[in-house]
Amino acid sequence: MAASLGLVAYFAAVIMPPLAGPPPASDLAMAALQPFRPLVGSLFLGHGYRFFAPDPGPGHSIQWTMQLADGSALTGSIPDPQTDWPRLLYHRRFMISEKIAAVVPPPDAPLDVRQRSRGDWQPLVKDVAGQLLSRHGGRQVTLQMTEHYLPTPEEVLRTEQGGDVVTPLGTYALAERRAAAQPLAGAAHR
Amino acid sequence: MNKAISAGEHPHSGSWLRDWLEAWDRFWFTPADPLPLALVRIAAGALLTWASIVWLLDAQAFFGSTGWQRPEHVWRMNDQPWQWSWYFLDGSAGTVRLLAGITLAAAVMLTLGIATPLAAAVALAGFISAVNRAPLNVFGFDDTLGMLLIALVVGPAGAVLSVDRLLAPDHAADRPSVRANLAIRLIQVHLCVIYLFSGCGKLLGASWWEGTALWGAAANAQYRTLDLTWLASQPLLVNALTLGTLWWEVSYAALVWPRLTRRLVLAMAVPVHLGIGLAMGMMEFGLAMLTANMAFVPAAMLRQLLRPWLGRFVRVESHAA
Repeated sequence: MAASLGLVAYFAAVIMPPLAGPPPASDLAMAALQPFRPLVGSLFLGHGYRFFAPDPGPGHSIQWTMQLADGSALTGSIPDPQTDWPRLLYHRRFMISEKIAAVVPPPDAPLDVRQRSRGDWQPLVKDVAGQLLSRHGGRQVTLQMTEHYLPTPEEVLRTEQGGDVVTPLGTYALAERRAAAQPLAGAAHR
Repeated sequence: MNKAISAGEHPHSGSWLRDWLEAWDRFWFTPADPLPLALVRIAAGALLTWASIVWLLDAQAFFGSTGWQRPEHVWRMNDQPWQWSWYFLDGSAGTVRLLAGITLAAAVMLTLGIATPLAAAVALAGFISAVNRAPLNVFGFDDTLGMLLIALVVGPAGAVLSVDRLLAPDHAADRPSVRANLAIRLIQVHLCVIYLFSGCGKLLGASWWEGTALWGAAANAQYRTLDLTWLASQPLLVNALTLGTLWWEVSYAALVWPRLTRRLVLAMAVPVHLGIGLAMGMMEFGLAMLTANMAFVPAAMLRQLLRPWLGRFVRVESHAA
């Protein structure tokens, strides 16, 4: 009996997260998920399983330019297909740009949408900037999100290539006290 | 017409409920051959070993106090405090490497079947700690690997094909067990949930209905490891591959159980997951999904397949499961 109850609880914790998200999801599913959150969280079961759904979209990368202490500049990309090897390491870094891209609105989004969303994406970008500055010993770093154009079959056959969409993510410098990156005044405005 | 009903005894409702309870018990608690779980252990252990090596290549950036995501900001991407991690205890370089190294050691032991129950528990703890600490870096591979590791903790994963068995031969360990069945059933049902939601999620997308979604994946240069842009001149092939994948996923949970359709459904998993692995550079994800699919392969068939290589270690006759 106890084993059966355990099984029911376990599979409730498996099924509730994909029912409750990602959107669209019902209020009922989200309410039903609440009692299972400890089990879902502690066993890493909170997945939506929406692989390449609803539609496969364009890929993203973050381009960065860093000013080093000696005044020279360093550039890079997250992920970097030239240096991120093995492939699983590339993919783990690729997820950084994909997950941040999911909360960064495009540059042509309404101003109020862009302003509201800053609270979602800027803390993530700030940490990424801090990691880059720590890793390379830089003074400040400027980042931008690139949404890579996804060509249609017709465009590939005509050897045409559309333009990528570039969204500035701001310029960040290390705050001395806690070694955390902070956006420079005015630099993160988009 | 029906004496029992006319007498108001409602025997059918009682037997219907009893049938359900018996079916539930049969499904979950019938002893099963531990061999499939041992094979899942070897494959999942090897994948976790590889994943742990890759985490260690950049451990400080993934788990350290100044990582891609600082520990105090992890709550933005997962459900604190439930999504625990031992990396939250200390993000210093030495501690991070030590903890990641413990996970790697546990993964190697799990693969080989050394102190298997302990290794499985530590491997699961290390795995969960990693993925909960670095939510910015996880993807479908981790979802699947977590599912497999939970089953390995539940079941007797080292009962056969393990160093444990070599060091302490125990013929009873090879016998069918309820825990072996429970563990395999956990994987089977969970896998059905994964495919069902993955398929249903795709039904929301126009490109899956139009049969063009596969092009979207093939043309994405950030994923691409195999140039499939020649598909641009083969729209009907793209349609067929897209719709085949969609309906296979949507119907998996129903068609994998009947013997008549199981082989077809499992056979389809091989090109789908190897295709994703080879063409989109996600071989670990593909192998993890194929490992999970292995839970549906009958134990008797696995014993026959393994006989030429592992006859010494695996008895060929299959147990009734």
